[in-house]
Amino acid sequence: MVRLWGLLVLVAFFLLGEAIRVIAQLPVSGGVIGMVLVTLKLMIRGDVSESLASASQALISVLVLLITPGVVGVFFIADQFAGQWLTVVVALVFGTLLSVLTTLWMMKTVAGTEEQEAEHD
Amino acid sequence: MTEQNDWLSRLTEAWYSGPMLSIGLTLAAFIAAQWLFARFRRPLWMPPVLIAAVMLAVIVWISGMGFQQYEQGARWLTVLLGPATVALGVPLYQQMHHIRALWRPILFTLPVAATLAAGYALGIAWLMGASPLVLASLAPKSVTAPIAIGIANELGGSVSLTLGGLLITGVLASLFVEWLTRWLKITDERIIGFTLGLNGHAIATARAFEISPMAGAFSSLGMGLTGVFTALFLPLAFMLVS
Repeated sequence: MVRLWGLLVLVAFFLLGEAIRVIAQLPVSGGVIGMVLVTLKLMIRGDVSESLASASQALISVLVLLITPGVVGVFFIADQFAGQWLTVVVALVFGTLLSVLTTLWMMKTVAGTEEQEAEHD
Repeated sequence: MTEQNDWLSRLTEAWYSGPMLSIGLTLAAFIAAQWLFARFRRPLWMPPVLIAAVMLAVIVWISGMGFQQYEQGARWLTVLLGPATVALGVPLYQQMHHIRALWRPILFTLPVAATLAAGYALGIAWLMGASPLVLASLAPKSVTAPIAIGIANELGGSVSLTLGGLLITGVLASLFVEWLTRWLKITDERIIGFTLGLNGHAIATARAFEISPMAGAFSSLGMGLTGVFTALFLPLAFMLVS
């Protein structure tokens, strides 16, 4: 029962996010808007209720299960790549490799210098 | 013989009429994948989500069930992604003190890294002579599915190609982050989590929560910020370039 209340809160925030998306014509999904709203609400409130914490914990623990059906779809869209599959694969593999490398390097460099500065202060 | 066929067709009809077969298969594959993953000493190149997806694809294909039939039933699971995305706000709040401590590197890295996440792949595809349709479909590859679909539509790309691209990106990002953090000797879970979410959206965020709640919170943050940033700036940048 406790968890169900938390689930209701999450669903309500999702619906609210969808409403804002439609009314403000934002290109961002209702789920992401709902996520931002929940974070803001908790920051104002100052703590998380047990029901919300346990409901979100339960959903997050099965996140991998929820995205699995979508990943299965990759194996059935090969024909959509229509003759350009090599280009698509090379672009995805090397593009992702380079962008992961860039993010890690930037975060490491910037966070690293900041920590050093903090030590000097 | 005919009687047996009759019995079989009635059974498949009953099983196909509801979503329970798809749900059962997905649950079974998920549990089996977790078990296999632990059994084979957690191979980095084969995360549980990929093991489960390969098993499901083979079953769906060999049994003649067909992907559409499977997907229709599995939608009962995937609709929960909506509230699950909202749920990411809770660890985000719980880890807020860590995020506050790192807000400057995050704000500095985000615009550059999110632009390059799309830019590298687009540049490579363009050099290899990809069609405008493929370029428009690949552009939103690093953001969560609902946002990516919106962007692809706006740019005039193919939605199914976009979905394929972003699913592959999510799996690849999880792998590359593992490899590159070892190579660069990065152990800071805040940086690992943020990089996962920024490059690999929900798929990599699911991976981040397997590492720790803190990595998961930073991944949620990276995913959310990249989604919002890309949704606002990519259509504009695409318009200026083409």
